[in-house]
Amino acid sequence: MTNSPGPDELDAYRAEARAWVEENLERRADAGARSRKPWELEEQTTEELAVQRGLQRRLHEAGYAGITWPVEYGGRGLSPAHERAFLAAASGHQLPDLGIAGGATFGVCAPTMLAHASPEFLRRHIPRVLAGELIVSQFFSDPDAGSDLAGVRTQAVRDGDRWILNGSKIWSSGAYYADAGMCLARTNWDVPKHRGLTWFLVPTDAAGLTIERIRQINGDAEFCQEFLDDVELTDDDVIGEVDGGWSVTQTMLLYERGAGSAGGGASARVGLRSDVVELVDAVAGWHDPGVRDLVARVHVDDLARATLGRRLLARMAADPATAGNLASYGKLASGVYDPIRANRLMEIAGAAAVAWRGPDEPGAAAALGLLNSRFMAIAGGTSQMQRNTIGERVLGLPREPSFDRRTPFREVVRNARDWSGSVG
Amino acid sequence: MSAPRPALVPSPSEEQAMLLDASVRFMDDLVPLSAVRARADGADLDDEAYRRGAAGLGWFGLLAAEAHGGGSASVDALLDAALIAAERGARLQPGPYPGHSGVVRTLSAVADPAHDAVLAELVQGECWASFAVDEAGPCELRRDGRGLRLVGEVGRVAEADLCRYVLVAADSEDGPAQVLVRTDAPGTEVRTLEGLDVTRRWGQLVLDVEVGPGDLVAPPGAATQALLADQERVGALLTAAEAVGAMASDLDQAVAYAKDRIAFGRPIGSFQAVKHLLADASLAVEMATGLVAAAAVALGGGAPDGAELAHAAKAFVAERSVGVAHDCFQVFGGIGYTWEHDQHLHLRRLFADAECFGSAGWHRDRLLDAAGAPR
Repeated sequence: MTNSPGPDELDAYRAEARAWVEENLERRADAGARSRKPWELEEQTTEELAVQRGLQRRLHEAGYAGITWPVEYGGRGLSPAHERAFLAAASGHQLPDLGIAGGATFGVCAPTMLAHASPEFLRRHIPRVLAGELIVSQFFSDPDAGSDLAGVRTQAVRDGDRWILNGSKIWSSGAYYADAGMCLARTNWDVPKHRGLTWFLVPTDAAGLTIERIRQINGDAEFCQEFLDDVELTDDDVIGEVDGGWSVTQTMLLYERGAGSAGGGASARVGLRSDVVELVDAVAGWHDPGVRDLVARVHVDDLARATLGRRLLARMAADPATAGNLASYGKLASGVYDPIRANRLMEIAGAAAVAWRGPDEPGAAAALGLLNSRFMAIAGGTSQMQRNTIGERVLGLPREPSFDRRTPFREVVRNARDWSGSVG
Repeated sequence: MSAPRPALVPSPSEEQAMLLDASVRFMDDLVPLSAVRARADGADLDDEAYRRGAAGLGWFGLLAAEAHGGGSASVDALLDAALIAAERGARLQPGPYPGHSGVVRTLSAVADPAHDAVLAELVQGECWASFAVDEAGPCELRRDGRGLRLVGEVGRVAEADLCRYVLVAADSEDGPAQVLVRTDAPGTEVRTLEGLDVTRRWGQLVLDVEVGPGDLVAPPGAATQALLADQERVGALLTAAEAVGAMASDLDQAVAYAKDRIAFGRPIGSFQAVKHLLADASLAVEMATGLVAAAAVALGGGAPDGAELAHAAKAFVAERSVGVAHDCFQVFGGIGYTWEHDQHLHLRRLFADAECFGSAGWHRDRLLDAAGAPR
């Protein structure tokens, strides 16, 4: 887009950005506070959302939204270095927070649209994204297709110049307050599964679309399920090529993984993690040798996960082509070690994690940790999917026999219902 | 499309790469696995040639100061040593490299002219030295008339019969001490032990020996305690690095076997039960590798988390490497139960490494102290 900027240009940009930030953004009371985990996102109330949308609009008007995005769609067309300079200038200040769906909009949906959608589509929608007027949630998994994403059965049928969508989507983060959903649908049943998919932008106020929040085991309700009953769209709402949705999906998954970087935990730092210390202080005491050993085991794994993240980044830097596959190690480490860690904290907590007086007690935190601990083992591709990627793409092991890659999807579904286990 | 096994660090510097290339050629030439096997069956190692060759490559000077003939390939001397150790482990190499390196580091740090000659011998590969972490406790340094006597046992020293010197930790009235013992000195007995790990030989030191003033590496006291703790971490870290190499080579062979072996009309590696076992083993190897490399840099560079990472590295590797050895064994199936197959050599080596220079539990205990856990 642009050549890399010189140091003088960047300095000037940074100074200008800092002046604007000081003038327009509030200082964060708890700057540098711990980052929230996906399950800890707070409820977006209508009033808060309106405030944050307003803040996003001001950011856009000042030219600090979509810094690296193309000018013709409302961005600034500047370099990633400019964006980093702005973020550095804004650190410690409150940037617009459009919640988990806002994160998906700016981190995943809009970048994917920019890579695949038509210029007309982008001119219509991207400026509204930047102005905080269009929050886009991901309508990705079906209730019947999660890790096997290409097996979605939500369908779009062409009817003249319209598309009629039917089916259901699930695990859409923050869809209940989003303005639209980026929806994956099957448009052709007579080709293999990867070749009959298409992406659509569905306004959340479309007739026939119902959005329900899912009550999760941890008490939150960030995730939603959508029901599409004869939802009508047009060709203008198609993102990328009709039946070419799988390449769009791959771009989307790339951005989704990119957002999680190498995974595998925070950088190493000295000392035991605070949640462990608080728990032992409060419920177990430091004298019990069994407790001490549990604490040490937790800490060994915490350090191993932190340094795994560093190793993966170094391996990715040494061979960028492998980055997507190596990311599976970080994801698998979380999927495997989060539950182990949660179980150990439960063991340390004992009865204190079964019943407690108030939600601030460490026993309650241990219990909540247990409920949340399988998140990374399931969400965004199960641990089994990561093991397949590592086995086949990193270790080079032979693939599983496939029953759905070359057969028309309509037959795949029928054959699966009549499964006998014998092939050919 | 099998990727080459990634080394301890994905992008070694040019100097590190040269050191590693030359070291790998040297090992494959002088002590290939066939020589390790011959030694397991009773043949003797050409130890003199091995020591001299390794010294010529600079293995033993990495942790010595320049004044003592030392020098490293990079600013991270301990990482350089760990890189060597990992390649040694991948080839199940003989010799007490982790212990030798710990003794070199200690003698160089003490920098007492009385030990200059010994340090020179060690750096130039004229002999081996080692030490052991004996969880039964240190020996005893007692006053005996005019002088001092070192009394006690040091159990399970790897390659004890190759060592000219052993650095022995001892308790004295004045606090912890370290004594440099010549294994051929009167009152020193090296008892040969039979052992699980046939890729190395094992010995026990039985000591009732006079200690001259020059044999004390540092006077009893807190400084000696810190020195000893550092030496134990270095021995443990380099042992963990050797184990990481052995884990990775075992896994490599299991992965290759899973691609070749046909059962039920398919290469067995195409079955998810096998594939997922290997993926989990591979995750363990990646985590162990990352932790050992990070610990080497942190401990070697005197970073605040160096001790913590070193104890965690040894504990993690001791806990997981034996699991990796079992997973690989399972993939090999019956062939892994034969003497001719390399699997049992890896299994033996990894279980022995897990205990050497402190077991997982011993290091977890010290990890808590290093991490500042209340007592």
